[in-house]
Amino acid sequence: MVALEIAYKEQAVLLGRHSLVGIVTRPPPARQKDEPVVVILNTGIVHRVGHHRMYVSLSRELAKSGRTVVRFDFAGIGDSKPRNDSTSPLMASLSDIREVLDTLEKSHGICKVILVGLCSGADHAVLYAHTDPRVVGLVLMDPTLPPTFRYYFHYVLQRLKNIRNWISVATGRSGLMRLASTHLLNRVRPKAEVEGLNLQNLRFSSYLPQCYRGAAARGVRMLAVFTSVSVRHTYEQQMLDAFPEASAGGKLRLEFFPESDHLFSGSKERDRLRDVISDWLDSR
Amino acid sequence: MNPLFIGTAERRLFGLYEPAASTRGKQRAAVLCYPWGMEYIYAHRSMRQLSSRLSAAGFHTLRFDYFGTGDSSGEMDQANLVGSCSDVESAIETLKDIAGTSRVTLIGLRVGANIALNVASRPESEVEALVLWDPIVSGEQYVETLRDDSDVSETVLHEIRSIDLPSSLEAIPERSMILVTERLPSHEQLGRPVEFVPTACPWVEEITMSGALPVSAMQRIEEWLR
Repeated sequence: MVALEIAYKEQAVLLGRHSLVGIVTRPPPARQKDEPVVVILNTGIVHRVGHHRMYVSLSRELAKSGRTVVRFDFAGIGDSKPRNDSTSPLMASLSDIREVLDTLEKSHGICKVILVGLCSGADHAVLYAHTDPRVVGLVLMDPTLPPTFRYYFHYVLQRLKNIRNWISVATGRSGLMRLASTHLLNRVRPKAEVEGLNLQNLRFSSYLPQCYRGAAARGVRMLAVFTSVSVRHTYEQQMLDAFPEASAGGKLRLEFFPESDHLFSGSKERDRLRDVISDWLDSR
Repeated sequence: MNPLFIGTAERRLFGLYEPAASTRGKQRAAVLCYPWGMEYIYAHRSMRQLSSRLSAAGFHTLRFDYFGTGDSSGEMDQANLVGSCSDVESAIETLKDIAGTSRVTLIGLRVGANIALNVASRPESEVEALVLWDPIVSGEQYVETLRDDSDVSETVLHEIRSIDLPSSLEAIPERSMILVTERLPSHEQLGRPVEFVPTACPWVEEITMSGALPVSAMQRIEEWLR
């Protein structure tokens, strides 16, 4: 009789003192690799399953290849209860990540993790990474990038092709003008510190480059993935120009999905994403 | 909030059980049936809220992901209507065990309403009350609204196309409510009272990546069940 091999095991868990709801996906003990645990963060307010179930599929595929994966909901998102305190949403999410890692360390002895996030999830990952030595890697999908000089150049080139944009400029309703003025104001105003930070002003905050610098200085490996639709990203090298320290020492890998929308709605794109992440995790 | 896996080894289903906040009087229990696809993603927040409201109102509640959806086992192309109906039966049995009740209420949203109706209409059904929240009236019309990249197999599309609410209502349990937040001309042909609660649709992307929270619809469901 041939025994049916179990490819992975999933366990529903409550993590941390806020009882965050999560799923731990594990390979069978015989296949378990001594590798960092992958922790997947929410995208916006979508619960841990992700769009098109992308985080469920990703968790299971990674577990089949020997990795433990945890996906969970921040407090107030998905199935996790909201907090009762006055902590800002951003600070609460960063605190939730720490609670989850503390729980994983205490209960499972896990002391190395790789954070994975799309959009706001990527931002949460990078904002947290430099504060905790347990984070050894980041998978950032469409993270926030600050506008660089070349970003504006490409942005203007694209916009010039449309007559409606000329009318907007002439009537003072141009998005570019708003963007540039916000950029300038943020240069003139005192630098945003982490306390005043939120995901809306992150793009112009000097704290964001500090986070990348801090993570890179600790040797955190990064995989940055960009889709075609990010309005904050107009050319392939933008991340390198925005965060030159992050790419130093070969710790940053860039991947592009020009055919994909922001949510990886196409199954082929999701399959390729899974392969890219697996390959990056296995590489040194 | 208690996350758990229910079902069998072949069909492990992820569920969330919320105990009744008040256990005075008769024990009551409700299984919530989610929509499918992107409607499931957008409406998840509303279903969670509804579950918490009912729990506070004295209901033991269980909501769960059908096989091949959400955190449950199975691949997306293995999800189908027949299987989802058997998953609801499995959830009913689990909740009866946990809550110690002999009958349960079913509340379904969109396709979840049609699935709940199918289960509640069976002769052996032990469903105490049924809430059909914006059920699919015509499967043919519903299929037209699905995105080309929605990962739904041809077999499932065929199943969905066969949904015909007017004919399914022939065997509807006596204690049932049809609640709609979006009034359609086809509702006139159902031959049953349809309660219209003018509020936002929870299954449509209203804010970034989520549907609205239709508080008045949830209030009405809670009120009707009391």
